[in-house]
Amino acid sequence: MKHYLPDPDQIPGEAQPQELPPWGETRVVGRSLSRVDGYELVSGTAVYTLDLTLPDMLHAVIVRCPHAHARVVRVETSRAEAMPGVRAVLTASTPGAEIPWYFGDDGPTSRLFDSHCRYAGEEVAAVAAETVHQAWDAARAIEVEYEVLPFVIDEAEALEADAPAVHEGGNLTEQREFARGDVEAAFAEADVVLGGTFRTPCELHAPLETFVSVARWDGDRLTVWDSTQGVFARQQELARYFRLPLTSVRVICPYVGGGFGAKLSTGKYTVIAALAARMTARPVKLAVTREDSFLSEGNRPANTIRLKAAAMRDGTLTALEGEFLGSVGAYPSGAVSPYLLLALYDCANARAATTEVYTNAGRARAFRAPAFPPCAWALEQTIDALAEEIGMDPVEFRLKNLATVLQLRDDLPYTSIGLRECIIEGAREFGWESARSRPQQDGHLRRGVGMAAGMWAYPGEPRATVFVKLFADGSVNLNMGASDIGTGTKTVMAMVVAEELGVPLEQIQIEHADTGTTQYAPASGGSQTVVVSSPAVRAAAVDVKGQLLEIAAAELERPAEGLVLRDGQVVPIDDEGAAVPLAELRGLRQRQNIVGVGRRHPHPEGKIALPFCAQFADVEVNTLTGEVRVARLLAAHDSGRVMSYLTYENQVFGGMAMGIGFGLTEDRVLDSQTGKMVNHNWHDYKIPTAKDVPLEQTCVPIDPHDTECNTTGAKGLGEPAHIPTAAAIANAVYHATGVRVHDAPITAMQMVRLLAETRGD
Amino acid sequence: MLPQFDYVRPGSLSEAIEHGATDGAILHAGGIDLLGCLRDGVFTADKLVAIAHLAELRGIDETRDGGLRIGALTTLSEIAAHPLIGERYTVLSQGAGSAASPQLRNQGTIAGNLCQRPRCWYFRGDFHCLRKGGSMCYAVAGANQYHCIFGGDRCYIVHPSDTAPALVALDARVRIVGPSGQRVVPLDSFFVPPGQDIRRETILEPGDLVVEVLLPPPGMGLRSVYRKVRARGVWDFALAGAAAALTISDGRVTGGRLVLSGVAPIPWRAAEAERALAGSRLDAETIRRAAQACVADARPMTHNGYKVDLVRGVVEETLRSLA
Repeated sequence: MKHYLPDPDQIPGEAQPQELPPWGETRVVGRSLSRVDGYELVSGTAVYTLDLTLPDMLHAVIVRCPHAHARVVRVETSRAEAMPGVRAVLTASTPGAEIPWYFGDDGPTSRLFDSHCRYAGEEVAAVAAETVHQAWDAARAIEVEYEVLPFVIDEAEALEADAPAVHEGGNLTEQREFARGDVEAAFAEADVVLGGTFRTPCELHAPLETFVSVARWDGDRLTVWDSTQGVFARQQELARYFRLPLTSVRVICPYVGGGFGAKLSTGKYTVIAALAARMTARPVKLAVTREDSFLSEGNRPANTIRLKAAAMRDGTLTALEGEFLGSVGAYPSGAVSPYLLLALYDCANARAATTEVYTNAGRARAFRAPAFPPCAWALEQTIDALAEEIGMDPVEFRLKNLATVLQLRDDLPYTSIGLRECIIEGAREFGWESARSRPQQDGHLRRGVGMAAGMWAYPGEPRATVFVKLFADGSVNLNMGASDIGTGTKTVMAMVVAEELGVPLEQIQIEHADTGTTQYAPASGGSQTVVVSSPAVRAAAVDVKGQLLEIAAAELERPAEGLVLRDGQVVPIDDEGAAVPLAELRGLRQRQNIVGVGRRHPHPEGKIALPFCAQFADVEVNTLTGEVRVARLLAAHDSGRVMSYLTYENQVFGGMAMGIGFGLTEDRVLDSQTGKMVNHNWHDYKIPTAKDVPLEQTCVPIDPHDTECNTTGAKGLGEPAHIPTAAAIANAVYHATGVRVHDAPITAMQMVRLLAETRGD
Repeated sequence: MLPQFDYVRPGSLSEAIEHGATDGAILHAGGIDLLGCLRDGVFTADKLVAIAHLAELRGIDETRDGGLRIGALTTLSEIAAHPLIGERYTVLSQGAGSAASPQLRNQGTIAGNLCQRPRCWYFRGDFHCLRKGGSMCYAVAGANQYHCIFGGDRCYIVHPSDTAPALVALDARVRIVGPSGQRVVPLDSFFVPPGQDIRRETILEPGDLVVEVLLPPPGMGLRSVYRKVRARGVWDFALAGAAAALTISDGRVTGGRLVLSGVAPIPWRAAEAERALAGSRLDAETIRRAAQACVADARPMTHNGYKVDLVRGVVEETLRSLA
């Protein structure tokens, strides 16, 4: 995660504040309640950044390099500048545009408009005009002369001695090795050794709301409405780019139509909008088109993973070894991760080597559990193959080899680990044993079932501050910095407030994701939002509750310990008839507001809180055409406490739908002759449709009742929901056909060929 | 963003023909294909000639000979839902129903579906390819997994339509009106392969309009079916498909056609397979032989060899469903 989110271990610590006791039985938390913003989302009244129009607003568009690798020789803007409606043209020579960009370990590797263009789609110039159509016409009128350079788009070729250099200093960005035990000896002594080379596709982010910012200056104060996963992260980066104090940069994001990791770091489009706004003294909106966002705004890199594994006949996993190769694209990012290989199973001997390279392609971004689904694809298929080789059921083999501590971090204990229950309960609910032994053939159709396990690695950035304000009428304002990226964050947090203060959800208003008016929260990414912010929300609500009960205790002349808050009233436990509505408390009317402040407590010492999961797939393969239909999916997740049942289920189903895309349909295609992407649109880039996602999906929450992870007992869910899906499908395809598919996605194109080869056609 | 163009809404068919014959004019009916091409800069237009409001181009009617007339502006949804078409010309109903997505089928017309431009990503993308007047076909040495295995000749597009193979299988004709009068052409000879002319896909001349599609009366014992294999469940063109319209009497194939989609620049008649089927019972051996005959002339490229297996498979499945 190092390229995407802060390392929690690097955040300065502090004295342990007094923690709240864990919840017992909850009244609101965990229920199936409609989203607090459901009406706005469904009715279309929610104003996303893409919908935003400000008075006098200009529209900006970006001119992009059409070549995979080129040097800008000359940019001729005079014709564009003279066109109707054009108010600003920005190029590398525009004052203020010399902003360093794409930071690696040794500093910046590029700048806002770099004359050395390293992928097709790189930003070369921009135009701001009165209408978006005028801006596009002017952008097309900008003449750019390029010196076209040789390019490299293949990761392995990028490492060859005579490969074109994406950056001076070569294409190798990072090589790492991890090892424990004696892998060679374990392979020599094992009963069974097997392995293979697996490849996963480059996936593109496709959030429904594209990448968009609206920027406005008031003197030297900058306000940016941005479709972002984290307003505070964006504020910090913009302050740095424009050399402003943090207080002079305000970032606002009331709604975001999806991000999936690509909206964690600042896009050039945001800074270009802000620069154009400063030049023109007008608000500027810059919305990246779908096609351009596919080129520039993010991807999950293709991975090539060579895996080798060993086991004894009794079912003991004895060695794991993996070599990982991936490309970060043209600029620093992350591409591969051996984490699952080194952490999911108890294995004394393990070794991994990772190689990451530059290529002339769009830069990778975080993408829902970066690099974990590729590793699961390889690891979980290899585990499946090992189980078969020693004649053991895949469920039983996994159960025999589960890790109980984090081997990657000196056997650090977990605050809780529900992986065993995920596998056992998941298999039971799925009907694993009967599905595994049912008749498989129906004419030329073959059925099969498979499963895969997973875990997620990011414990969250343990800092957030939340205000909760109770008004004199008993209604409540929740003020927090966290973004709701479509996952239901607002609903979850409102339920936490309702739990503590006993007010109905309709009485809670939420201010959030605004650096000017709300408090710090980390970006919504890495499955940390509920983990980090819900304890802070709880603490703020408890602060309010304490103050309120003090007032009530004095007025009711009863001890505060004998009072509870329920249904907008103060209720004496031993005399419910004496309940008083909050609005009738004189002390509250006198103060008008009670404000509570809550802060996130640090992570527990000497332990780590991480989520686990197991997913099961039932597929049908057409042996004549190679088509794979996912008939049903089941997900059993240990993400700690279920905070809100409906949004929990939404997350799981959404993660699995994305897993179907990763496993069956999605694949960026670059043309080998030009290095240009050929499928940068929603027709040619195959995102799964409603018809590709099974009607029968089951969510089985496993709650280990973790009282140590944090004060709400929740662990992350967004990432793990996506990690094992494709691998489970691949194992099901193997069970159905006997064909082990090493390369994702399992398209009909690939499958029909593999089936023919197996038949000997 | 769309380029600048004039937009006219002619009051009659003859006016539409007049406008359509002017330089740089393009007809606009459903607009499904046209607007995408203009936005993506595949080609430009000086004038769009709206025809969607011309009532005489609508409607589905039985003809005196027992066949069917389908107006050019009939939407794919209307065809897919039409009971008579479903009953007598199943292959067409299924072809129309499997095209694109429900929203696109509500807007897209039958004539537009027949006249749509190729979906080749080089043709649609920022590549000055042979079909756009350039000097090379990028698919030859490039990403050709979606390209043709039959009928390629310097250009390797596939025909994108799902209704065209069904209509060819049914021996449909189209009525064309234009500046030089009107003519009725078998759909079989409506499409232009690259070997004949690399810059166009149909025989239409400037100002020509397809006004209706004419289906012959269904033959005795006609059984027909369309089966399409695609990369995802909906909103996708065929990787390969088979449209079969066979007349079967006493268990023997007495005639009919087998037409492939997604594998050639035009709807591809599997003539060898038709011969293999003629006079035979649809038993496992005949079906296998016919499926094999379909691919005898296949010339796969570097990344589309799977289409040979896929054609065999989809034809086998299609014929089995008729047996």
